[in-house]
Amino acid sequence: MWYAVRMIHVEQLTKSFSDLRRGLIVALDHVSFDVQPGEIFGMLGPNGAGKTTCLRLLSTVLRPTGGDATIAGHSVTTAPEKVRSCIGFMSGNTGVYDRMTAYEMVEYFGRLYGMAEEPLKARIEELFTTLQMHDFRDVLGSKMSTGMKQKVSIARTIVHDPPVMIFDEPTSGLDVLVARALLKAIAALKDQGKCIIFSTHIMREVEKLCDRIAIIHKGRILAAGTVAELEERYAEPDMEELFFDLISRHEDPAAAQPW
Amino acid sequence: MVNWRNVRLILHREVRDQLRDRRTLFMIAVLPLLLYPALGIGMVQLTILFAEQPRTVVLLGQAHLPPTPQLLKGDRFDSTWFLNPADAEKLHVVADGAPPAEPADADAARRAARLIAAAREIRHEREREQSLQADADAAEAKWHDLARRWEQASAAATTTGEPATAAAVSAAEQDYEQRAELVRQCRLRQVELLRSAPMQALVLIPEGLAEHLEAINKNLAERGPGVKGVARYPRPEIVFNKADDKSQITHNRVREAMNAWDGAILKTQLALAHLPDEFPHPVQPTSTNLSRDGQESARLWGQLFPILLVTMALTGAFYPAIDLCAGEKERGTMETLLICPATRTEIVLGKFFTVMVFSCMTALLNLVSMGLTGRHIASMSGGTASAAQSLALPGPAALFWIVLLLIPLATLFSALCLALATFARSTKEGQYYLTPLLIVTLGLVVFCASPGVEIEPLYSVLPVAGVALLLKGLLLSSMGAVKLALYAVPVLATSVGYSALAIWWAIDQFSREDVLFREAERLDVALWVKHLLRDKEPTPGFAEALICFILIMFLQFGAMRVLTQASSAADSAGAGIAAMRVLLVQQLVIIAFPALMMGVMLTTSLRQTFRLNWPGWQILTVAAVLPFFLHPLTVELAASLHDFFPPLPVEIQGVLKNMSNENLPLWLVLLAFAAAPALCEEIAFRGFMLSGFYYTRRTGLAIGLTSVAFGLMHMIPQQVFNASLLGLVLGLIALGSDSLLPCIVFHFGNNALAVMHSRFGDQVPGALLTSIEDGQLRYRWPTLLLAAVAAGLVLRWLARRCAHHAAPRAGAAEPQANTAEQFSPHGV
Repeated sequence: MWYAVRMIHVEQLTKSFSDLRRGLIVALDHVSFDVQPGEIFGMLGPNGAGKTTCLRLLSTVLRPTGGDATIAGHSVTTAPEKVRSCIGFMSGNTGVYDRMTAYEMVEYFGRLYGMAEEPLKARIEELFTTLQMHDFRDVLGSKMSTGMKQKVSIARTIVHDPPVMIFDEPTSGLDVLVARALLKAIAALKDQGKCIIFSTHIMREVEKLCDRIAIIHKGRILAAGTVAELEERYAEPDMEELFFDLISRHEDPAAAQPW
Repeated sequence: MVNWRNVRLILHREVRDQLRDRRTLFMIAVLPLLLYPALGIGMVQLTILFAEQPRTVVLLGQAHLPPTPQLLKGDRFDSTWFLNPADAEKLHVVADGAPPAEPADADAARRAARLIAAAREIRHEREREQSLQADADAAEAKWHDLARRWEQASAAATTTGEPATAAAVSAAEQDYEQRAELVRQCRLRQVELLRSAPMQALVLIPEGLAEHLEAINKNLAERGPGVKGVARYPRPEIVFNKADDKSQITHNRVREAMNAWDGAILKTQLALAHLPDEFPHPVQPTSTNLSRDGQESARLWGQLFPILLVTMALTGAFYPAIDLCAGEKERGTMETLLICPATRTEIVLGKFFTVMVFSCMTALLNLVSMGLTGRHIASMSGGTASAAQSLALPGPAALFWIVLLLIPLATLFSALCLALATFARSTKEGQYYLTPLLIVTLGLVVFCASPGVEIEPLYSVLPVAGVALLLKGLLLSSMGAVKLALYAVPVLATSVGYSALAIWWAIDQFSREDVLFREAERLDVALWVKHLLRDKEPTPGFAEALICFILIMFLQFGAMRVLTQASSAADSAGAGIAAMRVLLVQQLVIIAFPALMMGVMLTTSLRQTFRLNWPGWQILTVAAVLPFFLHPLTVELAASLHDFFPPLPVEIQGVLKNMSNENLPLWLVLLAFAAAPALCEEIAFRGFMLSGFYYTRRTGLAIGLTSVAFGLMHMIPQQVFNASLLGLVLGLIALGSDSLLPCIVFHFGNNALAVMHSRFGDQVPGALLTSIEDGQLRYRWPTLLLAAVAAGLVLRWLARRCAHHAAPRAGAAEPQANTAEQFSPHGV
């Protein structure tokens, strides 16, 4: 299976849309990268860099205006349903239903992913045990704390045991304890051989978690590689400095021009 | 392929979700169950409150009332004078002659005395007013006489009587004004007295009434010389204030009693004269009501149920739809749903069925609750058979039809609400969008419920109205069952069609990124206008095309009065020419000018916007020939649909008559009816609007919208239909050639043929191919067959060409966008 090596293959992915105020916006500009199974690929970039757009394209919620991406061998442009069924997606925009209990929520999505009743039940029991969700299995979404909601989201993301998982700024708005638990869970998923994309604007998370990272800014990948490679290439041991340097170096020529 | 398992899953979840929502439950289930009983209780209480307030009537001159028949009984009118005897209790009569009923009650006696004093004052004022009025009338007559004489004097020196001066006239006028003012003041004083007394009506019995009646009776009994002289005597007067509701109602009651009393007196007199009771009504017809029992109730329900069913089906769809789409966006769970393997179509269908379930449930619960409450009230009102009957529920067959017709209604509303709610960013915005829908629907329903409106071929294909009228017809059973069953077919078929369109729209909305992920940006109109003027594009945008259409419609609407006035009376050649001139001006000013101005102001390329390209001889020839193929089809289609549409308004008939008006020169008629529309309408519709609607590169949508707009601009149903179809052809030509010229050629050809047809059609010798019917040239089936085949081939060629044109254009747009992408980050 050739795609076992490249579970996610992104090639020249481009997304542009028109905006009333700013005219044509290129949110993602010919971006290419690959991700292997058992690897966490970090996307690092400031707010509005195009991370969310890129991940939405991979999850087929948005359609690309150029280029293509294949996930587990399925193209996001021609087989979006198949792509969606083999990814788990979690972001700040994927909320939990207010009027559903934790159990119902996970069960509902399990069914939507086409799981049969018996394996689904077993899987939910397993997930609720590992994520320690049994005490609030019958609590409605509106009554849950942020930590509980996050756990439900994770359970929802991985209920169908997808080979590919995408986390878009999953820790934003979480306290340290919950964030830490979440990062642990993601690391555990990687050990199971999952192929994971993780986007954030927090350096520490990237350094701790990711095997390879891509620094993305204004819709383009400025640099990509392992943490060590990047530090070596730019001769900058501190990741935060490196990131800042890259961004401002890219900003400067444009800013310096008088027109 | 739709995976129905997903649809069912989503449906189940959404229904459960809605049932857990307190607001929805309240709207859908609790409100209807509580509303009608609550309304019933309120009504009962109101009637009690209302019944417990007797009104005060003062009667002066009790002494002059004849002893028989007795008008008063104690401090009430005699209950025999009322249709409903209980009504007597609603009027409290204070009469001047009566001894106080209970002398012990000093309070009541004092009150009565005060009322009578006020009444006497009013009577005095009435008398004063009469003499003042007489003075004022005299003064007015004098003033008018003087004024007339003065006018004569100034016109010709000859005058009759003494010459009048301007000063005398104005003095007389002033005199009259003063006297009239006195009358007004007198009136005001009476109103004030009536109000402050307080009494609601005053009955004045003139002096000697009893004696006069007595005299007449005696005269009749003795078979005297006649009653002519004796019958002339002053009659009683009821004084009241119509501007005051209570006084008005009291007046009606007093009048009812006194009319009945009057009838009784008349009856005595007739008996004395040995005349039959029917004598005063020699030819009064009797009315016969043929309605069977239960049909009366059908009438009530027939008017009420359609209104209720439609409004409740809409409100029932309204709130769940907002919650399911806009609410889901707001709560941030939309993306969660979008990333599951279910397709957008499946999601929309799941949500759509949910909304439909609630729409149906709301409507049915409302009907049940209202029906039961109505029946309960009827049974409570104590066996008055008519009331119980008028509230009896319709039979099982009618109920079956209600449920059956509810389904297309609920389908349409659910899909419409869903599409609008998808477009909305928040629940609040959703409510704004849906309010116009509610208002439009209510307007339609009220129209349908108004008496006399019945289902007709045209109405049967209108959305909502068809269903409402069919239901009304069923409940009223005013039409034959067979006829209604015939109407049921188009009503149901069109309902299904409309619903399918609405669902398609909802799915389309749901598949669009710019709708699903609209940022909650504030729309700043000033900024938008600035953007339009600053960042001009070669061709107009979607919104600009829409605004152009609305502008043209507004101008049409505003100028409609002028146009119809100017062009209606057009029998003579002069008036006809004037009408032609108005038509030309209308075309230029109302249709071409706005589009041209918007093109100049809002776009950078007039050439692209108005398609000023050379199309090539091939398509020009096709555009010139095609009208000849389509013309016979148009004529026959119009003739076959003649009975379907309502008859043309008289003004329009007048305008159209000009087409065949022999007095007008042919060139002028062709100019007004063919050349000007071809040029002006093409500039506006295939030029500006089609370019704008084609902004998103969706060929079908652009052509469809433009032709609907083109149709609507023609205002009259027949022409709307005809023009919409032609609009489709014109759209194909425009996009297939990317030039306005063939459109103008085709449009001119089409209209010119119509002019020729109405002007010279009856001179064509009838043969195998044509015939003359009612002075009109009609085409026989061989012509039609040939024309249809030829037109079909040409249209297919055009459609292919259009698709062929659209494809490279989209491709051409792509590199353009790419270059923009590549250069914009560096160039600026």
